[in-house]
Amino acid sequence: MDFPALGLTLRLAFVTTLVLLLVATPLAAWIAGGRGVARRVVQAAVALPLVLPPTVLGFYLLLGMSPRTAIGRVLIALLGHSLAFTFWGLVVGSVVYSMPFAVQPLVAGFAGVDRGLVETAGVLGAGHWTVFRKVVAPLAKMSFVTAGVLTFAHTVGEFGVVLMVGGDIPGITRTLSISIFDQVQDANYAAANRAAVWLVGLSFVALLVIYVRGGWKRGVAVG
Amino acid sequence: MCGVVGSGGWRLVEGAHHRLAVEGTVGALRLEVALEIAAPWTVIFGPSGSGKSSLLRAMCGLLPGVEVAFARRDGDEWTALEAMQSSQRKLGYAPQQTTLFPHMSVRENVAFATSQRPRGRAAWKKAETVVDAALELFSLHLLEERLPGELSGGEGQRVNLARAFVVPGARLMLLDEPFSGVDRKLRDAMLPGMKAWLAELDLPVISVTHDVDEALLLGAEVVRLDQGQVMAQGAAAEVLAEERVRMLGNLG
Repeated sequence: MDFPALGLTLRLAFVTTLVLLLVATPLAAWIAGGRGVARRVVQAAVALPLVLPPTVLGFYLLLGMSPRTAIGRVLIALLGHSLAFTFWGLVVGSVVYSMPFAVQPLVAGFAGVDRGLVETAGVLGAGHWTVFRKVVAPLAKMSFVTAGVLTFAHTVGEFGVVLMVGGDIPGITRTLSISIFDQVQDANYAAANRAAVWLVGLSFVALLVIYVRGGWKRGVAVG
Repeated sequence: MCGVVGSGGWRLVEGAHHRLAVEGTVGALRLEVALEIAAPWTVIFGPSGSGKSSLLRAMCGLLPGVEVAFARRDGDEWTALEAMQSSQRKLGYAPQQTTLFPHMSVRENVAFATSQRPRGRAAWKKAETVVDAALELFSLHLLEERLPGELSGGEGQRVNLARAFVVPGARLMLLDEPFSGVDRKLRDAMLPGMKAWLAELDLPVISVTHDVDEALLLGAEVVRLDQGQVMAQGAAAEVLAEERVRMLGNLG
């Protein structure tokens, strides 16, 4: 069992989830906050990683981090080194790759909050931030759980982006899914199986959390 | 097109504290209204679908796509409110549809407007006192800890009113069908207290009703609205004379 790869995978998923919740919450609030072409364009752009092959995404991210492009040169100048083939490069890749899994549940949750409540809170003197903090966020709290768990699980399972951006550096960018790939390449099926079982278990538990919480909420509402 | 918005054709009613002009289409209704409000309590009266609630929403800034001019008198000056955010207009608002915050207790709902910004201990104490008084006024003190989902329609409506009454620094109270679901006995018992509260704060009210009895009972200035147009404005007994006769006839 490749425990460094498991540790790295969990660390990556944890950091990605944290970063994405911070990034996706204001983004989703903006997207859900009204109509207009700009919001729909951003929403479509955010959903793009759902349909693009991860290798395409990874390829462009890698280009964006390389000294051959302007963005890459700026990044290198700022950081002193390239993001490619580093842990934080993986985080950037994962954030982009898992973006729709954080943004979509939050958009649905925020948009599902009764307009009348938001409007009334505003008339009663609450500014946008207060309305969000005291009305929208508490009423959409299940969508934060859903967004967090989906992002975590999706990051644990990613392969293409990680391989493109991170390469396969043991202890630094070799995540569990890549470790499995390597073991299968080496015909080491027993080791691959042990790692794969971990992934199945992690993913199942993550989904279970969402469904159990959803069912529990409904039960409370009915009772 | 007479252009009620921006025409400047106000009648300059003496003692007017607010004025409102609305022009535009809401659903299938053509709204064309210019109102000057001078009375401490003004009732907008009309059949359902006449645009009553839309007028309140226009004042709140919740009626997009419609031309609105809304101003408040501050001393000798008129302050334009239509360009302000809803939250800056200093309104107490009790909308008609249920908009109690479902995740907050009755007390938290009523206190919503008082807890906007962090303030000193004294201010917090004062806010608590106001909330207590409002709970008392609307006979809600036994229900403080309940959630809106656990209330009857009439109880919910009282919370809705109490929440509007505690808005700090409010300059105008907007009540949409304030007594719907509240039984008449309780309504009659609450009214003197409500009027005293409003008088003490010198806080004018615009309420909406389709109930003749309620309009007469309030002894307010009545604006009769029909199909988005003002048909009459004046003392309740005059504007509603016809309905009053009919109602008395029914009694007798």
